[in-house]
Amino acid sequence: MMVPLGHVVTLAGLLFTAGLLGVLLRRNLIMILIGVEIMLNAAGIVLVGASAYWRHPAGQLFALLLMPVAAAEVTVALALVIYLKRSRGTLDVNRFDGMKG
Amino acid sequence: MTALLFYILSALALLTTLLCLTRPNPVHALLYLMQALFAVALLYYLLGAPLLAAWQVILYAGAIMVLFLFVIMLLEPASAAKNAAAKRFRWIPPAMIGSLLLACGGILVGMDPLKSGEIAGFWLSPRGFGQALFEHFGLAVEIVSLILLFAAVGAFHLARRHSANREDAS
Amino acid sequence: MMVELLFLIPLLPLASALFIMVAGDAVPRRVLTTMAAGAVGIAAALTIWMWPLAADGARATLYTWIESGPLQIPVQILFSRLSATMTLMVTGVSFLIHVYAVSYLHQERDLRRFFSLFNLFVGAMLVIVLADNLLLLFLGWEGVGFCSYALIGYWYRNPEFADAGRKAFLTTRAADVLFGIALLWLFQLTGSLSITAINQQAVMLPSGSVTAVALLLAAGACGKSAQLPFSSWLPDAMAGPTPVSALIHAATMVTAGVYLLCRLFPLISLSPTALAAIGLTGAATAFYAAASALVQRDIKRLLAYSTISQVGYMFLAVGAGTVTGAMFHLLTHAFFKSLMFMAAGLVIHLAGGEQDLYRLGQLPKRAPVLFWLMLAGAVALAGVPPSSGFFSKDAILAACFARATPYWTGLGGLGLLAAFLTALYALRLVYLLIAAPMDLPSHGQAPLGKTWPLLPLSLLALTAGLLNVPHTLGGTALLDQWLSAPTGIAPARRMEWGLAVATCLLVMAAWQLIRNWRRSAPVFTVGGCTRFFASGWRLDKMIRAVLTVPFRNTGRWLQRCPEKWLTLVLPGRLGRWSQNAGQAFRHVTSGHVSDYLSAMLWGTAWLLIMLTALLAL
Repeated sequence: MMVPLGHVVTLAGLLFTAGLLGVLLRRNLIMILIGVEIMLNAAGIVLVGASAYWRHPAGQLFALLLMPVAAAEVTVALALVIYLKRSRGTLDVNRFDGMKG
Repeated sequence: MTALLFYILSALALLTTLLCLTRPNPVHALLYLMQALFAVALLYYLLGAPLLAAWQVILYAGAIMVLFLFVIMLLEPASAAKNAAAKRFRWIPPAMIGSLLLACGGILVGMDPLKSGEIAGFWLSPRGFGQALFEHFGLAVEIVSLILLFAAVGAFHLARRHSANREDAS
Repeated sequence: MMVELLFLIPLLPLASALFIMVAGDAVPRRVLTTMAAGAVGIAAALTIWMWPLAADGARATLYTWIESGPLQIPVQILFSRLSATMTLMVTGVSFLIHVYAVSYLHQERDLRRFFSLFNLFVGAMLVIVLADNLLLLFLGWEGVGFCSYALIGYWYRNPEFADAGRKAFLTTRAADVLFGIALLWLFQLTGSLSITAINQQAVMLPSGSVTAVALLLAAGACGKSAQLPFSSWLPDAMAGPTPVSALIHAATMVTAGVYLLCRLFPLISLSPTALAAIGLTGAATAFYAAASALVQRDIKRLLAYSTISQVGYMFLAVGAGTVTGAMFHLLTHAFFKSLMFMAAGLVIHLAGGEQDLYRLGQLPKRAPVLFWLMLAGAVALAGVPPSSGFFSKDAILAACFARATPYWTGLGGLGLLAAFLTALYALRLVYLLIAAPMDLPSHGQAPLGKTWPLLPLSLLALTAGLLNVPHTLGGTALLDQWLSAPTGIAPARRMEWGLAVATCLLVMAAWQLIRNWRRSAPVFTVGGCTRFFASGWRLDKMIRAVLTVPFRNTGRWLQRCPEKWLTLVLPGRLGRWSQNAGQAFRHVTSGHVSDYLSAMLWGTAWLLIMLTALLAL
C-alpha cells in the first residue's frame, strides 16, 4: 500500500468539510443529521488510516466503538425528529425560531 | 495497484457524498450516502481492517441508514421542493467556513513530518481484532452497550404518542 | 493706640449694619434707627476728634488680609489730609441723611433691610476713602456697588425699580472690569497694590504703561461716577427712595470715582494723554447732562442729570490738573446736591407722591421753609456768587483756561457753556416750583416731615465757598493750603476776575431768560427736540442697539444653532443611531438553527485558525 498518510488524512478532511457544508446549508432536519453522519464517517477514516500507519489495532478499535455511538446518537436524534414533526408539523429548521430576538 | 484502488475509491466516496448533499429528495440523498459508505468500507478493507469493513456495511449502511430511511418514509411522504424560499447567497458563509477549515487543515497536514509516511501492508485479522478489543477495551464495550440501551429507551420515550393521559406526558 | 482707633471709623457703620441685619426685627424701631444714625454720627465725631492726625498723614494696619508670595495685602488705612477731608464729608453728610431717612421712611415696614444696607453702604464708602491698598479699595468699591443695587431696587416688588437696580449694578460692573484690569496691571508693574507705594514708584514706570493704566482707571471711575458712556444708570436709579438718591447719587458713590483719581493723581498726572481724556470726558458729560436736565419733567431725574453734569466738572478739574479744585467742587456739590435731593423728597412727600414738575408748584405758599432750602441749593448749583458753587466751579474753569493750549481752552469753553445751561435749569426748577401747577395735580397733599437736617446743609451750601476763595480774588485759599495737593497752573489775576464776571453775567442772562419764558406761553408742547434731550440724547437706545440687542441676538442664535444641536439634535441622533445599530445586531439572534450552527462553526474555524497560526509561525 503505497499511499502516504497525508493523503488519507486529506481525504478524511475533504469528507468532513463536505459533511460540514451539508450541516450548514440544508434546511431539512434529516439532511442535517445526514451531514453529521458524514462527519463521523470521516473521523473513522482518519482513525483507521492512523491505525494502519502505526500498525496498531487501537485506531480500528476506536473506529469500531465510534459506530455504536453514532447509532445511539442517530436513534435519539430521529426520535426527536419524529416528535418535532408531530408537534410542529414541519421539519424546516428555520421554522423553529422560538429563540428569535 | 492498491494505491490506484485507493484513489479511485476515495474519488468515488467524495463524489457520492457531494451528490448526497445536493439532492433535494432525502431518499435520493440517502441512497447516495449508502454508496459513499460502501466506498468507505472498501477503503477500510484496503487499509487492513476487514472486520471493520464488514461492520461498516452491516451496521452503518445496514442499520443506521435503514433507520434513516424508515423515518423519512414515515414522516415525509411527499418531500417536494421545500427549499423554495432559500436565499440566494446563503452558500457564501458556509463556503467560507469550509475553505477556511480546509486551508487550516491543509497547512497543518503540510507541516506534519509524518504526512509522507508510507502506509505499509497492515492487516488485522478478526481474531487479532477480537483479542485486542476484549483485552484492552472490554470496559469500553460494556459502556457502549449501555449507551445503546439508554438510547433505545430514550428514543422510545421521545417518540411515544401521548394520547390519553396528559399528566404523565413530560 | 490712637492710630488704630481710626479703624473704628469704617467699622462702626459696618458693625451696626451687621447688627441690624441680624437682630433688627427684634429691637424696637426707635432703637434700630438710633443705632443706625448713631453709628454714622459717632464715626463723624471720631473723624473730628482724630483730625490732628491727618496733618502729617497717619497710617494704621489692622492685619494682613492676603499673604501669598509676592502678593501682600495688609488691611491698611491712610488718614491723610485728602482722605480725612473726604471722610469728614462722607460721615457728616451721611449722618444728616440718616436722620432725614428716619423721618422720611417712618411709614416703611421693612426698616431693617433699609438701614442695614444704608449703614453697610456708608461703611463700604469709608473703606474706599480710607483704604491705602487698592485691593481693599476695590473691596469697598464693590461693596458700594452692591449696596447701590440693593438700595435702588429697594422696592423690588415693582419690576421697574428692580430693573433700575440691576441696570446700575451691571453698568458699574462693566466699568469695574476695566478697573480690575488696571489693578492687575499695576500689581504686575510695581509688585504691590499699596497706593502710597504706587504713587511713589509712579515716576519710574514706563510711560506707555502709565498712560494705559491711567486710562483704564479713568474708565473704571467713569462707571461709578456715571460719566459717559456709563452714565445711563443714574437717571433710572431715581427709582430708589429719596434718602438713597441723596446719599449715594449726590454725595458719596458718584464721587468715589473722582476720589480714586485724586488718590492716584501722582500716577495719573504723569500721562498727559490720560489727563486730556479725563478732561474731555468730564467736559463732554457736563454739557451732555446739562442739556438733558434742561428738559426734564421729573424732579428727581432732573437732579440726577444735574449730578452727572456736576461730577463731569470734577473730572474736568482732575484733567486740568487741580486736585484741590476737584475736591472743592466735590465738597460743595455734596452739600448742595444732597440738600436739593432731600428737599425734593420733601416736596414730593408734600404733594402726596407727585414727581412731575409741571404738576408741582406754589411751594412758597404751602411750605416756605422748604422753598428757601430748595432755593439755597439751586442758587449754589447755578453758581450765583457768593455761594459755594460759584467759587468751586470758577476754580475749575480757571484751571482749564490757565492752561493756554487750544485744547484746554476749548474744554473750558464747553464747561462755561455747561455752566450757562446749569444756571438755566436750576432757575427753571425754582420757577416751576414757584408757579402754579400747569397740569392738574393727581395726588392730594400730605404733611411735611422734618426739615431740620437740611438746615446745616443749606448753610454749608451757601457759605462753604468761603473755604477756598482764591488769592486772586482776595481770599485765603484755606482748602488749597490744607490739602496741599496739586492745583494746576495758577491762573492770572485778570483771568480769574474775568471768569468771575463772565459767570455772573451768564447767571443773570439765565435768570432773564427764565423770567421771559415764564411770562410767555408755557412750554407745554413736547417736540422731537425736547424728547431727544429728555431721553439723555437717546443714550439708552444707543446702548441697547450697540450692546444689548447684538448680545441678545447672538445668544438667541447660539441657542438655536449650536446649543439646540448639541443638546437636542445630536443626542437624539446618537440615540437613534445606536438603537438602529442594536436592532441591526438583533438579526444575529434570528432563531434559525442554521444560523446558530454557522455561528458555532465560525467559532471553531477561528480556533483552528489560531491553532494553525500558532503552529505555523
